[in-house]
Amino acid sequence: MSDQPMDKTDLNADRRRFLRGGITAAGGLAAATLGARTASSATPDPLITEVQEWNQVLGDGVDAAPYGVPSEFEAHVVRRDVAWLTADPVSSVNFTPLHELDGIITPNGLCFERHHGGVAQISPADHRLMIHGLVDTPLVFTMQDLMRFPRENRIYFLECAANSGMEWRGAQLNGCQFTHGMVHNVMYTGVPLKLLLQEAGLKPNAAWLLPEGADASGMTRSIPLDKALDDCLVAFKMNGEALRPEQGYPVRLVVPGWEGNMWVKWLRRIEVGDQPWHHREETSKYTDLMADGKARRFTWTMDVKSVITNPSPQAPILHGRGHTVLTGLAWSGHGKIKRVDISIDGGRNWHSARIDGPSLSKSLHRFYYEFDWDGSELLLQSRAMDEFGNIQPTKNALRAVRGENSIYHNNGIQTWQVRSNGETENVEIS
Amino acid sequence: MSKSLKLLSAAAGLAILATSPAPAEDIKAGEKVFRKCKSCHAVGDNAKNKVGPQLNDLFGRTAGSIDGFKYSKAMKSAGVEGLVWDDESVGKYLEKPKAFLKGTKMAFAGLKKDKDVVNIIAYLKTFSVEGEEPVEKAAEAAKPENEEPKEQKVAIAAPAAGADVPDHGTYHLGRVALPAEIAAWDIDVRPDGTGLPVGKGTVAQGGAIYDEQCAVCHGSFGEGEGRWPVLAGGQGTLTEERPEKTIGSYWPYLSTVYDYVNRAMPFGNAQSLSDDDVYALTAYLLYLNDVVTDEEFELSNENFAEIRLPNEKNFFMDDREKEPQYSTTDEPCMSDCKPEPATVVMRARVLDVTPDGDEEGGAGAID
Repeated sequence: MSDQPMDKTDLNADRRRFLRGGITAAGGLAAATLGARTASSATPDPLITEVQEWNQVLGDGVDAAPYGVPSEFEAHVVRRDVAWLTADPVSSVNFTPLHELDGIITPNGLCFERHHGGVAQISPADHRLMIHGLVDTPLVFTMQDLMRFPRENRIYFLECAANSGMEWRGAQLNGCQFTHGMVHNVMYTGVPLKLLLQEAGLKPNAAWLLPEGADASGMTRSIPLDKALDDCLVAFKMNGEALRPEQGYPVRLVVPGWEGNMWVKWLRRIEVGDQPWHHREETSKYTDLMADGKARRFTWTMDVKSVITNPSPQAPILHGRGHTVLTGLAWSGHGKIKRVDISIDGGRNWHSARIDGPSLSKSLHRFYYEFDWDGSELLLQSRAMDEFGNIQPTKNALRAVRGENSIYHNNGIQTWQVRSNGETENVEIS
Repeated sequence: MSKSLKLLSAAAGLAILATSPAPAEDIKAGEKVFRKCKSCHAVGDNAKNKVGPQLNDLFGRTAGSIDGFKYSKAMKSAGVEGLVWDDESVGKYLEKPKAFLKGTKMAFAGLKKDKDVVNIIAYLKTFSVEGEEPVEKAAEAAKPENEEPKEQKVAIAAPAAGADVPDHGTYHLGRVALPAEIAAWDIDVRPDGTGLPVGKGTVAQGGAIYDEQCAVCHGSFGEGEGRWPVLAGGQGTLTEERPEKTIGSYWPYLSTVYDYVNRAMPFGNAQSLSDDDVYALTAYLLYLNDVVTDEEFELSNENFAEIRLPNEKNFFMDDREKEPQYSTTDEPCMSDCKPEPATVVMRARVLDVTPDGDEEGGAGAID
């Protein structure tokens, strides 16, 4: 075992080697082992016995960072993209580093991005929201007007319908950031859409809405009126502060539990109509092609799903055998998560995990499963159930019903293989 | 006397005497017609650019020449090519803006009555130093009206802070959206043709636009460059391992093509195409997909809804709840759920497409 103290930089280098599949020998694992060293070492730890720089020298004052940023030792905790997925980064996606986070709230700067015409930069003074169509009084709201309606605070997950979409044909991307990172969970502050619609007054034949973004893609989706009157918000804050530009600043639609594409960002217009519009993002995209060549449309709800975030390919077990904390996230667009089961043997036997933190409808849930790892190979799986009896299926069960060309709505059970050296890989099992 | 009418007479005071002055009643009628324009265009003292440019000294002005106003490309180049606003050009433009100047961003559909055009020109001229209105006539025209029509009252009162409290809704927040504002943003089109503007374009016209503006990403025949979307071909591949989802093979409705091209294309220069351009491009995309075969085929708002795409019938409403994993009452298996130990049958590392590797590109794109 190495006597050299390891800092985070070494750890990150090791993680990168893990990602590349570079660590194959057990020796590699030993070098990457962090905590076990102190227990067996007879040599006093110089981090304790010697005065460190930060013990002695003054740090930054309160004027150093008017808007705070994470520690320099967390510089690797970033959104990442997969260049080959799309033609151009302007119409593309990046992924939330789920394996670096805990709890249920996603920090604003790490919420994955998906936009179709780049990030629009709009001054709130120049932004307008129009509601028109089958209403008594077509209205234009300024941001100031919106702030004068009664507000609500709600925590919801937002998942891209294509999250895990690259895995339909089998294990492809090695890391939960890439396989499951098109999800985030924040607290929104906003106005119930119902209040805005009532302000304009709905005509009796109103049945559908067409929200539209002010960005260069002019994003539109058809949303049934019932959903709008149920729980949709027109939100201007996330986690207490203004929406980030990439999340639709100054205002976005929140469509709880439904596919992320419908949560129109830079929301500038809502048309009320009596039929759906069948626009690009609900015909050519975001429809689910079945094996027989027919396609499902209007697959709005994001189904019950979970993933183990640690250990995972980007977050291997570095501490060796012994007490091990397994953790992950579960969510359902139908409601609350009732239970999450964990298997360490590829689904032969299951153990219920402990859900900790708030259990809210259509929000991420954090689960933990602590166990004593004996150092043997593991096939880790998590299986979520929601309050309505919906159970996360295996990937093969999904493929049996839908084929492999759906792209969207892959909520199948993820398997991570942990080798005896702690290295973890995205695999498919029998 | 209202403020705007005072301004009117002041502007008219600058006017050069002309040989054939417009009658005062024309000016007055023109002012009424101009209400249709007011939400986007200002005239008079301190008139500023709004959605459209301010219209003081319009007559004699080169088209697209006001500094700081963001004109359409079409308007700018018309000015460069020598278009100067006079009675004739303003008249023709107002009659059918998009026909007179393809690519104009003025959303206004046009004035149907010749008399309205004559009157609005008479009115606008009172704000032009090149105008023809004698002072007395303008003063006469400046007599205040007894009753302000309701429409105008809304237009003035709504945007101003501290103006009359509107009576809509519960909170009386927001202001009434003006017809011109709705027209400017309401560009969406439905499969039944609702929302289509008047216009037309042929396959051949669309081909020329396509080659210039679209082929760089989508390929000369819609085959797609790099990972840019493939637009044509793919018929019969939807059940194959690599389905090619194009307009011809997959898209259910033609209206989606029109709507999307009109709102979002060309990529990076959205909403720069005229309505006729979009009809022409849509016609060309039908041609690339063999839905029409005649290069002379002309697509218009008249025949649009008759065109059906081949895959329309193959879409069905979400029925996921029929799958077994939904709304179960059974407890899931907790122990000895598989007869044999699970074995690994596929590994992500074999493909090696995860960033940080030397990946070339994976199998399933998501856009």
